[in-house]
Amino acid sequence: MKNLHNVCEKIFRLAKGAQCEVMAEARDWALTRFAENVISQNVASSSLNLSVRLLDAGRTVKVNLNQADDASLKRGVASGLEILRHQKKDPNLLPLAKPRPLPPGKNLYDRETAGLPPAWRAARAGDLVRACKKKKQTACGTVENGASVLVIANSLGLYAEHRESYAAHSATVRDRDGSGWAERQSFDAREIPFALVNETAMAKAAASRAPREIKPGKYTVVLEPHAAAGLLTFLGAYGFGGQLYNDGRSFVCGKLGKKLFSPLLSMEDNALDGPCAGMVFDYEGQPRSRVTLVENGTVKAVLHDRKTAKKAKTASTGHALPQPSFLGPIPLNLSIKPGQGTLEALIKGTERGILVTQFHYTNLLRPQTVEMTGMTRNGTFMIENGRIAYPIKNLRFTQSMVDAFTRVQAVAGAPLLIAEWGSISCPAMRLDGFNFSSSTKF
Amino acid sequence: MFKLAAAAIEIARKHRAEFGDIRIVEDRRQGLAVKNGEIAGLTDQVTLGYGVRVLYKGAWGFASGSVMTERGVAETAQKAVAIAKASRLLMAGRVRLAPEPAYQDFWQTPFLKDPFAVPVQQKLDLLLRLDALMRRNKDVRIASSEMRFIREHQWHMTTDGSRIEQVLLSSGGGITATAVKNGESQMRGYPCSHGGQTLGGGWEIIEAMDLAAHAERVGDEAAALLRAPACPAGPRDLIISGNQMALQIHESVGHASELDRVLGYEESYAGSSFATTEKYRKFRYGSPLVNLVADATLPGGLATAGYDDDAVKAQRWHIVKDGILSGYMTNREFCGRIGMERSWGSCRADGYSNIPITRICNLSLMPGASSTEELVSGIRDGVMMENNVSWSIDQRRLNFQFGCEIGWLIKNGKKTRMVKNPTYQGITPEFWGSCDGIAGPDEWRLWGVANCGKGQPGQTAMMCHGSSPARFRKVKIGVHG
Repeated sequence: MKNLHNVCEKIFRLAKGAQCEVMAEARDWALTRFAENVISQNVASSSLNLSVRLLDAGRTVKVNLNQADDASLKRGVASGLEILRHQKKDPNLLPLAKPRPLPPGKNLYDRETAGLPPAWRAARAGDLVRACKKKKQTACGTVENGASVLVIANSLGLYAEHRESYAAHSATVRDRDGSGWAERQSFDAREIPFALVNETAMAKAAASRAPREIKPGKYTVVLEPHAAAGLLTFLGAYGFGGQLYNDGRSFVCGKLGKKLFSPLLSMEDNALDGPCAGMVFDYEGQPRSRVTLVENGTVKAVLHDRKTAKKAKTASTGHALPQPSFLGPIPLNLSIKPGQGTLEALIKGTERGILVTQFHYTNLLRPQTVEMTGMTRNGTFMIENGRIAYPIKNLRFTQSMVDAFTRVQAVAGAPLLIAEWGSISCPAMRLDGFNFSSSTKF
Repeated sequence: MFKLAAAAIEIARKHRAEFGDIRIVEDRRQGLAVKNGEIAGLTDQVTLGYGVRVLYKGAWGFASGSVMTERGVAETAQKAVAIAKASRLLMAGRVRLAPEPAYQDFWQTPFLKDPFAVPVQQKLDLLLRLDALMRRNKDVRIASSEMRFIREHQWHMTTDGSRIEQVLLSSGGGITATAVKNGESQMRGYPCSHGGQTLGGGWEIIEAMDLAAHAERVGDEAAALLRAPACPAGPRDLIISGNQMALQIHESVGHASELDRVLGYEESYAGSSFATTEKYRKFRYGSPLVNLVADATLPGGLATAGYDDDAVKAQRWHIVKDGILSGYMTNREFCGRIGMERSWGSCRADGYSNIPITRICNLSLMPGASSTEELVSGIRDGVMMENNVSWSIDQRRLNFQFGCEIGWLIKNGKKTRMVKNPTYQGITPEFWGSCDGIAGPDEWRLWGVANCGKGQPGQTAMMCHGSSPARFRKVKIGVHG
């Protein structure tokens, strides 16, 4: 950490009076990947990335480098200054952000998790492989761990630092023509329920053998947390970003304060505490605010960085991405308000519907309605009379999310922390009238 | 650099590894973007580092670092050995690499003008001019124009005796206009969406696109799309043109033919493939008109190089020949599984910090004998679609859905009115089986895919897909929710 501080100071001196912002990230990280019941890739990476943004009288440039020796820093900053010198002025360019007090945030660093060795990862992978072999199943997946430090500093005296560790286990199990999947992540490896992840993936694989083909059409869906999160992150990113809002491309335009969704849907962006806590400052070093985006179905606010806030004549909520940003601010710590009960209770309350474990290869068709498409994957089941009746072949959905989330019928408790578009804390939920447009062969 | 690299080779040899290599990579890239008259991005980047692979007693280990000293390299190599030892805890059999001769060579992307020597302000001036031209149409709310240039200098050394130095250069750019009115937005790009066109070469790639000649039209077409009727739904004949064919090839043939995926080694993330090895040289992938050729020697290709990151010399081979599955994208580890004694050479890594994995090479649909005019004249009721905006395919590469920027109805052999939000769905072999016409070499173009994601940890690769417009019969068109 001390080194990163020194590196920033050196860069400020080299900037020769130009305003200067540094984003420095040091990262040590390792991943063990297994497939076909063997370790297939086993990798570790150690890196330092420095991103230096220079501003001078309406001119700006960003220089990225990964070598922090004096000669490399001098060369990098000099090349940036040279580009600045020949540039025309942009009168709308914002100066750098001034330092502001930051909230304390939550500890997300565990030294032990950061340093877990390859033998630990191999052992965790081995647990699943051995269990699968006993049941004549095939294990695939990953075990990963590591840590990173991110610093945002600028020549106006701003210095913000975030450190976190990371561990994750993902299990995909194949059982003849069935497949199952489960995944968990945490900053503390001890919080990952490895046995539960393995058992879930194995049970889903066994239960999804010999899937039946069903006709595409509109169905009630019970979305497990990862499936729901895969949709809600798009709704968050394409609806609640200040840039898209200012451009008139968000469904929220003209709808603030109006009820757009089911009263069961409430969501906020909250990096400060709660289940989705993260970095308490944005990529300009400004304090993140906790922002309610949807409250009981009513759209309450959009997220801003300094640039979009200025255009919208409001205050920044502290959601800048690295500047300059084409996309603008988006939710990176999205927390969906949980309801009550379990996934099993959602299934029990469904007369006829489809249980979705996970969506695959989701993509946006039309931003204004957040119309999306994607496939179900790794365990899709027909529910009849409150029970899982039989596995079904995978389906493609084509559906507007603005429309879909008007029909939330129930939200479960016990949300999961999921790494998508930053992170999202999301429970399982049941929606009516979800449109599946075609099916596939398996 | 090879002196530094030797420190890793020495460690691999000291541990009697069956194979070891180090790739030192210096990556220089520059990106410029203008949005609505403002600089939306101006980044200059230089990174330098190395990745070390060790195959120790039949198991792989990989580690990367960026401390550019012999000690730093040696420590990273030791880490790779330690990781390989851990990999041995969970192995079925020893990994064996297909043999390849040792090479001492230098290769570089041919180019006419070094894009890094072109002044930044000249680039910005062009982007600002394009921006203004697009915004002449008052319905255009967002105009964006961008350029990017990447030069990757690699030094690759193996325990087999290869010492390969390569300099890969690519240049890209494009413009996009988004018109917004009454709660609806429509986008039009040139030469295509997703950041425009990228190819192997220098500043001449940007000049050849003649972006200024198209900027005003792009703005007008984005605005016109707002007023166009929606693409009708139902089974219709389809002509695919522009870069949409590149995405169609990429998703439904390129990824499906990656042998690691076929063998199940991507199951945990991107998925597997329906094009399994028992289908090799037997399976009808498409109509007899369909020939898809992988080519690492293709001029202008983004996957064009002298050697892949397995140190295998560049080759050209069929993936689909006369409609039959005839090849795969391979690396040295897996090619033996289909009886190959030598890899076709399609193993690449993203930068210095990632392990080389099987990637899509340049993969192109060979031209036919027809023309777009002839293809249109043979359609009673159909749609022509151009340029991709949205893509999705299942994890075995069968069921796909694509959305395009723009469509035109075809009625009784004539291209008629513009339609918006065109989409189509299909099942890969059925779709390629319905191909009954491909335009000829005069209309054949190379399209770059500069952002292909794969692997865990995620890696980005670049490749090209060449094609001319092609016709497909009775496709499910106009799917919306």
